[in-house]
Parts: sequence; C-alpha cells; structure tokens
Amino acid sequence: MNRLNHSVKVVLLALAGVCVVAGSAPVFAQDATFVINARENGFPTYNPLKGTKLNVANNLIFDRLVVQDADHSFHGQLATSWESAPDGMSWTFKLRKGVKFHDGEPFNAKVIEWWLPKFKGTENAYMTESIDKIVIIDDYTVKLVMKNPDPALLFNLATSFMGVPSPKSYEALGDKFGVAAAVGSGPFKLESFTVGQQTKLVRNEDYRWASDLSKNQGPAKIKNLTLREISEDSTAFLELKTGGVDALLSVPTDFLPKLQAEKSIKVVMLPGTEVFYMPINTSVEPFTDIKVREAVALAVNQKEIMSSLFGGTGAVANNFLVSSLQESKINPKFNISYNPDRSKKLLDEAGWLMGAGGVRAKGGVPLTVKLWTQNGTQFKRVTEVIQAQLKAVGVNAEITVQDAASINAMYKKKTDHQLAVRSYDYVNADILDWFFSGTRLGYPNISMWNDPKGEALNAKAMKGSKTWDERVSNFKAYHEYIMSQFLFAPIYQPTQSFAYSTTRLKMPDNIRGIKLATQSIMDIEVK
Amino acid sequence: MLNFVIKRLLMLVPVFLAVSMIIFLIIHMVPGDPIDNMVQIGSSPEQRAELIAKYGLDKPLLVQYGVWFRNLLEGDLGNAIILRRPVAELIEENLPHSLLLGCLAFAFSAIVGVASGALAAIYKDSWIDRGVMTLILLGSTLPSFWLGLLLILVFAVQLEWFPVSGARSWSALVLPVLTIGLHGVALVSRVTRAAMLDVGRRDFVLMLHAKGLSHRRIQLQHVLRHALLPVVTILSLRIGWIVGGAVTIEFVFARPGLGSLLITSLNQRDYPVVQGCLLMLAMAVMLGTLLGDLVQASLDPRVRDSLK
Repeated sequence: MNRLNHSVKVVLLALAGVCVVAGSAPVFAQDATFVINARENGFPTYNPLKGTKLNVANNLIFDRLVVQDADHSFHGQLATSWESAPDGMSWTFKLRKGVKFHDGEPFNAKVIEWWLPKFKGTENAYMTESIDKIVIIDDYTVKLVMKNPDPALLFNLATSFMGVPSPKSYEALGDKFGVAAAVGSGPFKLESFTVGQQTKLVRNEDYRWASDLSKNQGPAKIKNLTLREISEDSTAFLELKTGGVDALLSVPTDFLPKLQAEKSIKVVMLPGTEVFYMPINTSVEPFTDIKVREAVALAVNQKEIMSSLFGGTGAVANNFLVSSLQESKINPKFNISYNPDRSKKLLDEAGWLMGAGGVRAKGGVPLTVKLWTQNGTQFKRVTEVIQAQLKAVGVNAEITVQDAASINAMYKKKTDHQLAVRSYDYVNADILDWFFSGTRLGYPNISMWNDPKGEALNAKAMKGSKTWDERVSNFKAYHEYIMSQFLFAPIYQPTQSFAYSTTRLKMPDNIRGIKLATQSIMDIEVK
Repeated sequence: MLNFVIKRLLMLVPVFLAVSMIIFLIIHMVPGDPIDNMVQIGSSPEQRAELIAKYGLDKPLLVQYGVWFRNLLEGDLGNAIILRRPVAELIEENLPHSLLLGCLAFAFSAIVGVASGALAAIYKDSWIDRGVMTLILLGSTLPSFWLGLLLILVFAVQLEWFPVSGARSWSALVLPVLTIGLHGVALVSRVTRAAMLDVGRRDFVLMLHAKGLSHRRIQLQHVLRHALLPVVTILSLRIGWIVGGAVTIEFVFARPGLGSLLITSLNQRDYPVVQGCLLMLAMAVMLGTLLGDLVQASLDPRVRDSLK
C-alpha cells in the first residue's frame, strides 16, 4: 500500500512537471513573428518573375538591383551605380561584387543576361519589354540597350518583381520554384511556406551586401523570422496584445486607438502610399456636364472626413497623386478642395435648382445619383459622410454596397455607375495612365473618360519622355489636364502604420523605404 | 442489406452530377474573374486578353464544364490559376487540418450532446433539466463568428490558457473545436432529450419498471439505446454543418484548412480551387448522409428486417 501511494505521487509529480514545461514554452532569442498586411494574404508564390502577387517576404529572400527610399530616391543594392545615355536608349549598370545566392552560386553579369529574358511571355513581361538586348561589358558591368527610352526603368527595377533568383536553382526546380523552394541572394532564406498561413525564414549568415539604406550591412539581427497571414483584423490585434506575435506590419484604422492605448505596443506612422477618391462617370447623365462634375467634386469636405473619421491622421487629398510624388506638385489652381458656395453656384448655372426636400431638380427630374462603394468599414463610413456632404448642396446620392472582390468587375460590366468611393495604393505617376487611359474604359478607367487631348498627353508622358525630369514634366501636364476636367473628387491620404511590441523588438529610429521593408528590417533587433 | 447499400450508392451518382454542375456554374455567376487578380498596373488590354485565352476562360461555359468534368473523372481537379499549383495538391495540403478540426468538433458534439441530453431527460423537469436546456439554448443562438472571438477574448486574452490563433500545437485546437462543437451540442442534446422522453413513454419501458429495474439502469441501458436512432441521423447531418462552420472558424482563428483555402481562392476568383474545395465539401456532406443512413439501417431492426 505504501509503495502504491509512492508510485502514484511520483507519476503525478512527473505529469505536473510536463504540464508546466509544455504550458510555458520559451520564446527563443533572435526569433520574431510578424503579421503581414492583410491585403497580402493568400499570395501564392515566391517566384518574382512569374508571381503576380508578392508580399514583403519576397524582398527578404531576393535582392533587387535598386531599392527606393521614402523620398522615392533610388539606392543601389545589387547594382552599385548606373547611368543612362543622353538619348535614353541605353542604361549601364555596375554590379556589386562578392554577392552569392543561397545555393552558393555567384552573382555577376551573366546572371543578368540570363535573368531579364525570362520575363518574356509572363504576366510581368511589361516590366522589361522596353529592353531590346543585354550587352555584357565585363563580369560586373552590363549595358541594357533599349527599344525606346524608358525613364521608368529604375522604378520597375525597384519593384518586387525584379528580385533576382539563382539561375541554377531556378532552372533545376522549374514550376516548383517559389513554392517548394525559393533561392535568392537576400538576407533571409526560405525555410517553409504555406499559402494563406505563414512563411518561415531563416537568416542568411553570409549576407554582407545590404544597401546603404540599412545601418546594418548584414547579416540580419533576426535569426528566424515567421511571417503570419491573419485575415481577421480582430484576431491579429489580439495576437499582438497577448504576445503571440511581435509586430503587425499593417494596422487597420479601427484598431489604431486600441493599439496606441497599450503600454507595451508602439504604433509607427509612415507617409502614405494610398489615395481615397471618388471617380465621376463622365459618360452618364448628369455628369456629362462638366459644371455638375465640378460641383460634386467641390462638395466633398476633405478636412471634415480626415478629422471625423480618421482622427486627424494622414492628409487631405487635393489631386490624384500621393503627395510625396513630384508629379503631385502641380499648379495649385488645378487642385480641388471643398468649396460649397461655388458648388451651389455651378449647380444653379447648370439648371439644377433647389427643390422640395433639399434635393435639386431640373425639368422636374430630381438630382439623384448612384453612389457605389465596397464592403469594408472604412469605405462605408467615408461613403456615408460624402452622401451627407452631397446632400448639403442638394445632390441626393443613393449608396450601393458591392463586394470588394466583385466591384471592379461590376464597373466593367455595367458602366452605369455614377459616383463611387474607392482607393488605390501605388507610388508612380503612371497610375494616371492606368485610371484615365481611354483604352481601359469601365475598369480601371471608372470615370469612363476618353478624350483626344488627354490621350495625346498620355502618350507623350508614357512614351515620349527621354529622361526622368522630362517624364515628371510630361506627367504634370497630363495630371493638370485631368484635374481640369473634374473626373473625380480627391478625398484623403491615409498614413501607413505598423505596430510592434516594445518588450520584444527594438526598431531603428528611421524607417527607410516606402514601407517597412528589407532596408529597415535589417536593423530590427530582438530583445 | 447489400441491396440497400447498392441502391444508396447508385443514388449518389445523379446527385454527384447535379452537384458538380452547380458547383462549376456558381463561381462563374459571381462577378469578377481570376484575370482581374493577375493583371498589374500598366499592363495592356491585349495582355489581359492573352491571359484569358491562356486559361481557357474565353470558351463557352459548357465547353469549360466538359473539360473540367472529364478531368474530374480522371481524378484531376485542374491547376490553380492564381495559386499556380495542382488543386489536388493544395487540397491534400489543407485537408488534414480540416479533418482534424471537424472530427474533434464532431466527437465533442456527439459526446457532450448525448450526455447532456440524457442527463436532462433522466432528471426531467428538475433544475438540472432547466439548467442544461438554458445553457444549450444560449450556445445555439450565438453566431459562430462572434462566439469564436468571444472565446478568444476570455480564454486567450484574459485567462491566457490558449493561443489566440494558428495551428502550432494541440492547444490551438481547443477554442476552434469548442466554437464549432458547441453548436452541435445544442442540436444533439435537444434531439437526445426529446427522443429519450418519447421512448420513455413506450410500453416496454413500463414493463421494465414493473420488473423492478432501477430508473437509471432503464434510462441508460434501454431508453438511451433506442433514442440514439434519431441522434445518429442528426449527427450525420451535422457533418455538413460542421464542414460549413469550419469555413468561418478557420478564418477567425487563422488556421489552415479547406475553409481558409476556399475563402482565399474565392476572393481571388481562382475558379479551379473554389470548384475543387466546394466539391470536397459537398462530397463530405453526401458521404456523411450516406453513412448516417447505413448506420441507422444497421441499428434499427425494422429497417434491417424490411431489407431481407
């Protein structure tokens, strides 16, 4: 009997010990877990040549020739310097020496010669289509001969799609590249990857060639980095709050106050890359009349929206481009901002007179328009405020909520929308071509604008620029003309923000780059 | 019995055909297509047209269905357009997670449901009965989505007993299983209680009482066994609900699984993956129903005798 009791006690103690150990698994030093931007969830591959959707991990695995800072300036990564011929018909790049891929292969001019032609026939072919041929000057110098001048080449080279893979692994893996394995020269190697769930990266111990945007040239200070995909914002927030993750790479507006209230969590604001705007369909009455378009555009109170819905964060939008772009600095007379008196005057001039119930009418027809938006808290709220602001000048807007995944198809399919509230996230002036070119009516040209002068200015900006400065000038002209036609109402520029646990991570003082990306992740320390 | 099984299996064939057609067409009815999720800013309308042709989306729907169905009969679910991998491979990767979650939730529903229902029936009209039924009513009316977040707030945030989300360890399964399972408990419990009370009014139960057997023994060894007949049917139908509920629960808890894959693919309009996932879910429901019918047939002497 005594022996039995003793045995029972021993077993119970052992079980208790196991439970304690299992329940309090230690967090290893130098390991970190981030939650990526929910918009990047479900991206299928780490193949920069063929992938049409790539997340932040892609740029941790692959290096690019150049990267961008927050001011959009270009800095060398795999290229140490570059120059364009005066006529824009060639670019010469000096390549960095001593770079190795994760599989041990060297990086040199032959890699560039192998790499760029691989884009032909892929969904990303347009990135390199202006390149005619590649000339190897020496092992670390390449010359790109162009079919036509392309001042945007550097911008293209700085995108995620221009990460350079290892030729050896790329050819060996075939279709499995980017899924089963992804081999680049970046500060991290791919350990494992599950679509829609997480990506596990392990530090590249050989890394010594970070750009000058990073204080730490390599290796990274984080040893094992897990990037999780959590679609439900509440779940992501609670994970950070409970210490299940160390950082959220994107913070939804709704959760900003809650996160800022947490003592151990810091929220960092970065300049935005997004613009909220309200396209106006120029092909449907009453917006075939430029006076009505201008009136509607001037009825939007940007400051009210920023202060009441976004707590004063971010910036008002007064034209179509992100304000950090040079092309956004147009002649101020073309900027659009709230002016209710002029709005009312214009509507009167157009024959829409104030009628019963505060709604204007013309020939007995009330000024009622369809206002589309997509599901999602932010969009609905902005749309409801705009509905009220339009009503204030006598325009009755009826809101229709469309599914976010369907709304672009609906624009193309129906084309009888009149107004819509939407946003885009992009930092190059050629977004003007995307949204206003007459070759893309419906979507993305939601304004349904097809104008001969606009097309001429578009062509000049897109194809007729030899240098970057000339391109900026041409796009400014195009931008100003677009503004003069009142094709949309500018609304708001949200900030980017990310949040991290101050007990787990030490963030660099300055975030280099347009978003929190490789340049700054190199400098993140784990406490 | 064998004839019955064969008949039930043959009935699945037309159901399968109808279901496959519906599954194929339903995704095409939703506005948008995979190409919208592939074109980059700056690409031309010509490039878009090339992509549409490349993936065969320019063909008539009937032709597309024919190709898909023929491949389906060979066990080929096609290739994901956005995800760039064989659909069968994606499903194979995610299915174990969903099966684990579903089976545990099913077991939880069955065990706790039958136990609580039996308890309520045995102690009919007592405080135990009223307490159990009240809790069950509460559990059945809460939406899964909200219940999931509530459980996270209480047990992961406040008490810190379980992780908020993910699939890193067994403890990450507890909250999702509870969330899905609690709904099943409510239904199974009510059916069990009602069935036991119904059986309890039969003549043979009166005879058992007359023989002097204890109340509990009568209830647990005789009444419960008979009451399980409708419970089995309900449980087999629960398979479909559990599978459906897992879609939102996997989303809330950021777990891998068919549900997560389905939502991701649906947002991207990746037709082959959506069709493959829906087909798997539909087959789960069909097989669950079949299993329920077969089990019921083997349990119920009346059905069994009528098949001889």
